[in-house]
Order: sequence, then structure tokens, then C-alpha cells
Amino acid sequence: MSAANTMTLNLKIWRQKNPQTEGKLVDYRVENVSPDMSFLEMIDVLNEQLIHKGEDVIAFDHDCREGICGMCSMMIDGKAHGGFKNTTTCQVHMRMYKNGDTIVVEPFRANAFPIIKDLTVDRSAFDKIIMAGGYITANTGNAQDGNAVLIPKPIADEAMDAAACIGCGACVASCPNGSAMLFMGAKISQLALLPQGTPESAKRTLNMVHTHDTLGFGNCTTHAECEATCPKGISIEHIARMNREYTKATFTYYEKNRSEGGA
Amino acid sequence: MMTSAVNHYFCSSIGRKQLVAVTGLLLCGFLISHLLGNLLLLAGPDVFNIYAHKLVSMGPLIYLAEVGLTGIFLVHLGLAIKLNIENLKARGGKQRYYKKTNTGHGTTFMSQTMPLTGLVLLVFIILHLLNLKFGSYYPTTVAGVEMRDLYRTTMEYFQNIGNAIWYSFAMVCAAIHTAHGFGSAFQSLGLNHGKYFKHVKRLGYLYAVLVGGGFAFLSIWAHMKGV
Amino acid sequence: MTINLDPKIPAGDLSYKWDKHKFDSKLINPANKRKFTVIVVGTGLAGGSAAATLAELGYNVLSFCIQDSPRRAHSIAAQGGINAAKNYPNDGDSVKRLFYDTIKGGDYRAREANVYRLAQVSNNIIDQMVSQGVPFAREYGGYLDNRSFGGSQVSRTFYARGQTGQQLLLGAYSGMMKMVAKGKIKMFNRREMMDLVTVNGKARGIIVRNLITGELERYAADAVLLCTGGYGNVFYLSTNAKASNASAAWRCYKKGAAFANPCFTQIHPTCIPVHGDYQSKLTLMSESLRNDGRVWVPKKKDDNRKPAEIPDEERDYYLERIYPSFGNLAPRDVSSRQAKFRCDDGVGVGPTKQAVYLDFRDAIKRDGKDTVAGKYGNLFEMYERITGDDPYKTPMMIYPAVHYTMGGLWVDYNLMSTVPGLHVLGEANFSDHGANRLGASALMQGLADGYFVIPYTLGHYLASTPLEKVTIEDNAFKDAEQAVKLQTSKLLGIKGKRTVDQFHKALGHYMWDYVGMSRNETGLKKAINGIRKLREEFWQDVNVPGETGDFNLELHKATRVADFLELGELMALDALERKESCGGHFREEYQTEDNEAKRDDENFAHAAVWEFTGQNSSPIRHKEELIFENLKLATRSYK
Repeated sequence: MSAANTMTLNLKIWRQKNPQTEGKLVDYRVENVSPDMSFLEMIDVLNEQLIHKGEDVIAFDHDCREGICGMCSMMIDGKAHGGFKNTTTCQVHMRMYKNGDTIVVEPFRANAFPIIKDLTVDRSAFDKIIMAGGYITANTGNAQDGNAVLIPKPIADEAMDAAACIGCGACVASCPNGSAMLFMGAKISQLALLPQGTPESAKRTLNMVHTHDTLGFGNCTTHAECEATCPKGISIEHIARMNREYTKATFTYYEKNRSEGGA
Repeated sequence: MMTSAVNHYFCSSIGRKQLVAVTGLLLCGFLISHLLGNLLLLAGPDVFNIYAHKLVSMGPLIYLAEVGLTGIFLVHLGLAIKLNIENLKARGGKQRYYKKTNTGHGTTFMSQTMPLTGLVLLVFIILHLLNLKFGSYYPTTVAGVEMRDLYRTTMEYFQNIGNAIWYSFAMVCAAIHTAHGFGSAFQSLGLNHGKYFKHVKRLGYLYAVLVGGGFAFLSIWAHMKGV
Repeated sequence: MTINLDPKIPAGDLSYKWDKHKFDSKLINPANKRKFTVIVVGTGLAGGSAAATLAELGYNVLSFCIQDSPRRAHSIAAQGGINAAKNYPNDGDSVKRLFYDTIKGGDYRAREANVYRLAQVSNNIIDQMVSQGVPFAREYGGYLDNRSFGGSQVSRTFYARGQTGQQLLLGAYSGMMKMVAKGKIKMFNRREMMDLVTVNGKARGIIVRNLITGELERYAADAVLLCTGGYGNVFYLSTNAKASNASAAWRCYKKGAAFANPCFTQIHPTCIPVHGDYQSKLTLMSESLRNDGRVWVPKKKDDNRKPAEIPDEERDYYLERIYPSFGNLAPRDVSSRQAKFRCDDGVGVGPTKQAVYLDFRDAIKRDGKDTVAGKYGNLFEMYERITGDDPYKTPMMIYPAVHYTMGGLWVDYNLMSTVPGLHVLGEANFSDHGANRLGASALMQGLADGYFVIPYTLGHYLASTPLEKVTIEDNAFKDAEQAVKLQTSKLLGIKGKRTVDQFHKALGHYMWDYVGMSRNETGLKKAINGIRKLREEFWQDVNVPGETGDFNLELHKATRVADFLELGELMALDALERKESCGGHFREEYQTEDNEAKRDDENFAHAAVWEFTGQNSSPIRHKEELIFENLKLATRSYK
């Protein structure tokens, strides 16, 4: 790559030592940025410079760097993952920016996502939502043949659309209400669409929604900003399906207390 | 389990949202009937006054309707305020991001201003009741029946340019509020289906323009016409 | 200490070995299972499925993952699919054929009995995952769809768009979360295993670093399951996730677990080429692309025309030319090597000349853009996002990249290493793929180990082994923790001039240049000396900023690179000692006239199993002879 193509960028990056201390935006300047670099590689370069200067590196979450693990999580210029269609932070490339640009980089912020350090946040609330019922109770060894229950292709495809969620939390970060409805809706919808998931759909939906509400997430007011920033393009139709499932479950699901004794 | 699930419903994010949605849609229905009634202003004082008189002569029914409407309104208002306070907290306080930009494909001006337009409407409704329902009482006689000349009260009210502008402004807010609220209510109730939803949204916009525009038109018309 | 390399393969006919073994294994009654605690390190397909299944059976499971959630383990990045011998397409597949293809694909360097068992349980995996809500691709009739993959002539690969690994992992993860909610799994996120603790020769616990606080923690158990994936990141650039590392396995090696076939590395043929020295990782384009994409290079050297301007007769569709029966679907090692040969010949393409074309022109012409988009749309988008080129209009450029490591800790038929109680599952072990893994078989192996093998073999171990009471206050734990502490303060104390990444990149260059796709004696010796020198420099000149009691990312990297610097040498040593070419291991001295790998079955039909003998002494190379009773050793031919 010729030097003529490289860029100089001004960064304003959120630095916060730990959850207890106050954070602030710190200015950095990165030179010789190649347009073929990924955004995270640009931060890597900056971090290498910081080490040489004896400063603490910028902490950010990342892992697969190919847009599937859901670990990376930055608000780039006010948009989750930079706001490019179907793109995670790790897939943002510097050719999307211009020489001399000033880019603000902040962590995903929400009450339910406390900051750990710099750009790293704690998203364990998502695991808690899944724990509340985001599964099908099918212990190993129970399964019948994979083709025993037929699933129409459009249904399987719709379930896959929802299942594509990578749990990155962009929906929460970009939602003006800090709500996790898209994350939760995608899982509830996926499992409600599949015949294997329907036996426990009602209980699952009730438990997950009630858990969501206790974790400090907000309420959906249909801004649909989640859908717009979701790197997997998950539609808020899945939230609607969850709402449907929830109403149905509330007014129909009934489980008597029975003793399970036997001889 | 059943009772607890139903109890939970009224505390849960989705349950309360659905109550806001249902009450919102009921209020939308009320607005249509209100607008249709108001359009009778165009037919002249007698027709309008007879209509108004008919309504208030319904006896207990009208009180029931008023109580019901007030209840619906208070539920809508109360839950919306509660949900908004929770949301403000959930997103991590007021100053959340140093820089936050909307993508342009999600959040709209309409969705963002819901609490504001809602508050404008609240103030409007209070003033509206004071100025008109509980406003100046002029007796009149139409076809031998003594009744209130609500037509005169209304037309007098709109002669004040300030009143006419405020009323029109409030109705623009109502249009903005319902333009988002209508579609959002269907989404909250789980009635977003890929096949139909874009029509529902369009219907919402149509509703907003017709109802908001209709009321605003009447206020301007009344101002221009004079007493 | 002598190590016992008895593979414990059950006697009898190949197809009954596993059934017989399951019946012969001791059981633990349900009420007693809850008295046992099992540590599972890693939450990928192997670790996740094992943790969930063991917890369902009643064991108490302590599960550890390096990411912020078990759902992010790197199994998630597998794109193409998972093999099973269902024979739904009625095209001649069977357990035996999957077994045969896997052994042959691995160039006859895997254990027959293990591979047969893998093929046997493959069908159960599909059933299990469907029942857990994995939305596999379906036909309009509602039946499961299949596609074909490299190294096989049947369509046996089940897939969920280009995200099969993700969907399977989320299935296993959801099973885990169910058991976490029930209290049977205790989940420890953002923890990295720093050492194995052995008591009386048996694996009884681990030391982990809490990556957030920097503190060391001790955990004790009755058995330890290592499901920590492969060590491809020793090359610095690989398709592995950034946190994927060899340290857990390497520390176990140093505690007595023998390491088998470390030099067996898979170089995946279809990755996006390297574009600069700042590059942090390589991105794989699913092998499924080779179903419809045609691989070619210009016939002329330094042909600078745009690919579309090069007429067909001036293109060399070299895979179709050399391997007419498998064509573009030749196995990974073969395809990768052929790409390297082309680039070495000077007909490579792109700015670095280190790439070949993968062209969809003909598929688009044949099936229409929509059909191609339906199959590969998300992969095409991904390619465009990374490179800025639109593969619908211009061919993709691809080049091989390190992707998977077939080598790993040695395990017997029960998946137990040479340290009693230490079981190794998934990519971390060496067992099933020989010298080359076929596409869509990694997911299969991870889940087979976790769902269907370990629940039986671990039960047998726990039921038949006397286990003393152990607590984390025992000296073994204190000593292990102390050793980690010492290493940490040493790393933090150097404050030299070079960063961890600089050392890692330097190591990567040695590995890629001399221990990569093509190896020779001179190069390997150069690598061994170079890596030794680099290791010395590392311990004198590395700069790890910060203190320990903190979320210190550079420290995390430093401990991993310190281990890679040792492992890299062992890999080169293993490659040097294996004086033959097989699968992914290509020694230039051992090749046929037409540049194909030349195996030496007489002298090297064995797994090379390395025993650690101390920091300053050479490791010992043992052999586990591979006995082929059911398949005849044959020269692999994909022509």
C-alpha cells in the first residue's frame, strides 16, 4: 500500500480504569492508517504505540474478528458497530473513513451493561436471560431422527433469521430505552417457530420476559433502532412474535401443583 | 401459576406496553368520533348544538362513557410516564453517550418525541376541557328545546388567534404522536406480520394526517369564519 | 517417568467395539453421580456439549471460559457445516464410508477405532441438534438439506446457512444455560486456565486467572476435561480467534500429558489473502464455496490484466486439471499446497502475487445470480466488506491460511491423556483426523466427544478409580499457584523494549516460512534455532505494561506467547523427525515426481507422541503404532 493512500485520524476514546472511577474521552492521533486496515487493527496499532510510550493499553473486547462471536462492542461515532449495514465493529474497515476524520469511540452503554474498563462492558445479563428459558429441554440421547418432524422451509428460514443473533448487545446499546427486547425476542421467536420448541414455549416466554425486566433493561417503544443497528439484520417482527407469545402465555398457561409420587 | 402470570402481566414490560397500546388505540377511536362530531360545526350552529345536546342528554350513559374515557386516559398516561422513567434509567441516565447518532433507519422524530408530544396533549386536554366543556355557558333554544349554545362557545374561543394557533399546534402534536403510536401499538400487541405490517404503518400515517389535520383545519376554519 | 501409550482399543469387530465398550464400562448410579465434581475447561462444541451432558447426568460441573460468555467460543466461527452418515440424499453414504473418507482424508495417520466411533455417533449428533432447535437448512418438503464438501464424493454435510458452527454452538450453549439455571453447572466466565494441578499423579484441579481482577483462583475436582481447542495461533496469523491459545494444553503437557503429532497443521485453502503487516488475523471463506467456485490462475506470469479480460484458454483451472475426479473439491491439504505451488511458480495474482482466483462467473451464468446469492450471499457480503471487491462481478482472491491443528494432547480410546483423570476433547486432542481433517468434520468431532463419548468413558474412570479427598488448600494447589505467580511477576518485571505482538509476529514468520505448507530439513533446523533465540530474547526484552491486579490484556497475551514460543519449537522438531510427507505435513524431500505427498508407511505409520522431560532437556519422542485392520493402506489419490 503506497503512503499516498494512508490516512491520519483523530480519535476520541473513552478511557475508564475500572467500574468505580469516572471515565473520560481522551484524544489520540493515529498516523499512517491504511484503508485496508480493520478498525480493530487500527486500535491495535494505537495500542502498540501506547505500550512503547509506557501507557496502559485501551481495553476492548474482541475475539473472532470475523463478525460472528459477538465479542466486539464499540459505539463508533455514536452508532453501535459504526452503524454500517450488517457489520460488526471487527468488520469495519478504515476505507469507510476519510483522512483527517475525528472518530468518537465509546463503550456500549446501558444500565444493564456496566463498564468493566475502557471500552469493555459486562454483558452477562444476556446469559441470565437465556438461563431463564432460552433453550429446548432436550437432554442428550432423547432425540428422534432429525427428519421425523418436518419443518417447512419458510419456517426454518425464519427461525434461522432469528437464530442468527450473535448476542453482541448492539440492540441494547443503540436502543434509546436500553431495552433487550430484540435479543430476547429473537430467541423466543426462533424457538416458538420450531416445532421442537413449542412444547415449552409458554413457560419459556413468561420466564424470560420476567427475568429481562429484573435485570435493568428498559421497555420497548418501537423505535426500531435495534433493528437498524443489528449486525445480523434481525427484524423487530421477532419482538412482535414474542409479544404475541407472551400474551398467549399469560392468559392460557396453567400448571397445577401435582405430586409426582409413584410406586 | 395462572394468577401469578396474570399479575406479572400488569408489572411486566410487555404487559404494560400492551395496556398503553390498547388504551392508545381506544383513544384513537375516541378521536375519530370526536372529529366526526366536530365536523358538524361546518353544518351550522343548530345541527352542532342538537348533536351536543343529544350527547349530554344520554343521562347515566354519558357519565359512564366519561368515566371510562377518563380511566382509559389515565391508564395510558400513568403507564407511559412510568415506562419512560424506567427507560431513562435503563439506558444509563440522561447523558448517556458523548456522541449518539441515529442510523436513520430506526428512530424517527415521531418515535423520539413521544413523551413530549404526549405532555403537550396532556396540557392541551386540560385546557381544552376548561375552555370548552367547562367554558362559557350560553343558553339557546333550537326547535323549542332549551340547550347550551356550544357552537358559540367554540367559535368565540377560536376568535383569539393565540387559541387557534395553540389548538392547531396541539393537533400537529397529536398527529405526530399517533403517527408513531398507531403502528407501535400493533407491534406491541404482536400484530406485526411481514405480510401486512407495512400497510398497518401506512394506515397509521393516514390516520394521523386525517385526524390531526381534520381538527387543525376546523380550528383555522373557525378562526377565519368569525362568530 | 515412563508414559503409557496403550490406546485401550476394545477387542472385537470394528463395528461392535463401541457398543461392547459402552457395555463393559462401569456405571455410577444416579444418586452417586452428584458426589462427583468435574472441571470442564472451554465452552466450545466439545466443552459445551460435555458440560451440559455431564450436568444432565447429575455430575457437578465447573465450567470455565476465556470469553465473557460461553456462547462466544471459537467453534462459533465454523461456517460450512457438519458431516453425518445419514445418507438422506441416497447417494451411497454409510457409517463405513464416512469412516473410510475420514481415514483416507487424514492420510492414514488416525486410529481406526476412534474414527469408526466418530462416524457411528455422527447421526445422533444431527438428531440431537435438531431437537435442541438448531435451524438446519431444509428442503421445501420440510426435510433436512445436505451439501457436499471437500474430500468426499457424497453429500453428507448438514448446514445452517454459512453459520453452522454458530448454530451448533448456541445449541450446546443453550443446553449449558439450562443446567446453569438448575445449579448443576457453575459457570466461570473470563477465566483463563494457567495450570493443571495433579495429586498423586491424577488430574485433580486447575489454577485459573480471573481476567478481570488479575487474581489467581484454585478449583478442585475429581476429573478435568480439557476442551480448549487448537493451537493455530502459534502462527500469529490464522483463522483462529484472537484469544485461542495453546497455554492450557501446553501447561498440561508440562505436567505429564504427552503431546501427539504437533506438526500436523491444517492450512485451509480458501482464506482472504494477507494485505499488510498490521494484519491481526485471517478470515476464512467457507470451503462450501468450492462447490460452485472454480479455482484458477493465469497461465502467463505477471499477467496484469483484470481477471475478466483473461480468456478461458489463458486460464489454468489447475485443480480441475490435476484432479479431474475431485476437481475443485480436492481435500484441503492438497488444494492449499497446489495454490502455494502456483504462487511459487510466479503465476499468483493480486498486489502481493500470493493469491489465486476463486471464480463464480460460470455458476452465476449457469444458475443465475439469485441462486448463487441464496447459497453464498452472506459469504459474498463478508468478502466485500473486508476487501472492497464484489465477488458477483470479479473473482474472489484467496490464499491458504492456518486453520486447524490435527495434533494435540495424546488420548486413548477413552479420551484420557497420559495423566489419569485429564481427558481431552475436541480439537485439543489428536485423535480423529490423522494428518489432515476433512471439511465439516471438526464440528462433528467436538460434539461426538462431548455428547456421546465422554459421558460413558468418564463415568467408567470415576467408577473404577480410587480418588482421595482433595481440597484447594493442599500443597499441590499452593505450589501450582505460586509457580504461576512467579511467572507473572517475571513477565511484568522485564519491561523491555519489544511488545508481545512483535515477538508473536516474529514467531509467526518462522512458523509460516519453515513449518508451514511445505517443510524441509534446513528450514526446520533454522526454525528451531531461530525460535530458541527468539524465546531467549522474549524473556529479556518483552515489555508487558501495567500491574497484575487489573484487567491486563498485555499480560494475558504475554503468557500465551511465552507458551507458543515453546510449542513452536516442538512443532518444528516433530516435523523434522517425521521423515515423510502425509496430509498437511509436506516434506519437500519426500514427494512424488508430480509433487504429491509421499508417505512412508513402513517407518511412520504411527503417531509421534512427545513427552516433556524438563525445561532444559529435550523431549522424548514415543510412538503409538497405528494398526490398520480394516482398511488397506493406500496412496491417497484424488485424481
